[in-house]
Amino acid sequence: MPERRAGAILLLVASLLLSWSGHLVPVAEAVWLTIPSSGTKCVSEEIQSNVVVLADYYIVDDEHAHLHTATISSRVTSPYGNNLHHNENVTHGQFAFTTSEAGNYLACFWIGGKHQEGAGLTIGLDWKIGIAAKDWESVAKKEKIQGVELELLKLEGAVQAIHDNLIYLKNREAEMREVSEKTNGRVAWFSIMSLGVCIVVSVLQLWHLRHYFERKKLI
Amino acid sequence: MGTLRPRYANLLLLIGLVLTSSLAPASSLSVTVNDVECVYEYVLYEGDTVSGNFVVVDHDIFWSSDHPGIDFTVTSPAGNVVQTLKGTSGDKFEFKAPRSGMYKFCFHNPYSTPETVSFYIHAGHIPTEHDLAKDEHLDPINVKIAELRESLESVTLEQKYLKARDSRHRHTNESTRKRVIYYTVAEYLLLACVSTLQVVYIRRLFSKSVGYNRV
Repeated sequence: MPERRAGAILLLVASLLLSWSGHLVPVAEAVWLTIPSSGTKCVSEEIQSNVVVLADYYIVDDEHAHLHTATISSRVTSPYGNNLHHNENVTHGQFAFTTSEAGNYLACFWIGGKHQEGAGLTIGLDWKIGIAAKDWESVAKKEKIQGVELELLKLEGAVQAIHDNLIYLKNREAEMREVSEKTNGRVAWFSIMSLGVCIVVSVLQLWHLRHYFERKKLI
Repeated sequence: MGTLRPRYANLLLLIGLVLTSSLAPASSLSVTVNDVECVYEYVLYEGDTVSGNFVVVDHDIFWSSDHPGIDFTVTSPAGNVVQTLKGTSGDKFEFKAPRSGMYKFCFHNPYSTPETVSFYIHAGHIPTEHDLAKDEHLDPINVKIAELRESLESVTLEQKYLKARDSRHRHTNESTRKRVIYYTVAEYLLLACVSTLQVVYIRRLFSKSVGYNRV
């Protein structure tokens, strides 16, 4: 029994270490971007309405020594131009919102405050939307499930998200098909009308010239 | 009392495996490429399958032969190029990571017009014997769950690619619609203008001030 207990404790420590090391340098789910020393770096995503967006950004430790004075500023705008989040001169920050309109959401970062010229900065951005932003720990605590059951619940959530995405894609394709067919009809109609305009214009020309020459007594 | 300990140990093993196998990096974003834009993504384990796609979504060029596409390069943390795609307007990629570490995914735009690239990168891991301590064995259900998760991720990947391609198609459609309307109206106006000028010119040829019956 003592070796069982030792084994269990070892396993607990190992699993804690493994999970902790993933969060020690929180790069497991994040993407790194380089911000130029002057100007802004913007990333965007086209998101539907009623989707949860959760994002976390931080400066990544570089070999350069000026990381202690470097700060970043960020701004997130909705497709209609509303400012959803604005933060100046921080080393890390996060923002969360639920989209109210469908469109292109833009998150811009720039170096705030003083910074050595010529050197860019690397930031890590952890951007999660929809099902990836769901808080599974609170669901596990509420429903009192864990382990395999929780994993299967996550898989079910993923499948539901795939289904919803498919329906969304289908609707978008239907909209686009309507625009295409309208354009197709317009091309035919405008081409025939162009021929008609040509004929009408030339008839008017001839009529006007004939009238003019008859007036001038040349015909 | 003796039966509780093994169950406790198994539960901890399960939780440990679940915690480590649930870190599945994936990110989907759009970035504007002026010259070179690099995105870094961390791959946790050696042998992970890194899959992804990118689509050039927004381009304001006139003829399609003006801009054949962008170049894409994947560099491993050791510095060697793992994969490269040249002159494409969007593609899928997949490779097995030779080592763990920070991978660099670079888009290079050879022309001066800025392009918006929508990309999605996913590094998937299936737990194997190497992840565990020496005296523990792999529970096949965790492997199966991880494989299921990877399959669902590949479906999601495909969907994101479809969505980005659909977005590009939508841009083209909108552009076609606008071009049809504006160019046709411009064509009609130009036609009317040219014919009026023709009439004016012919009238001038026959006008008295130029010369009586000179034509």
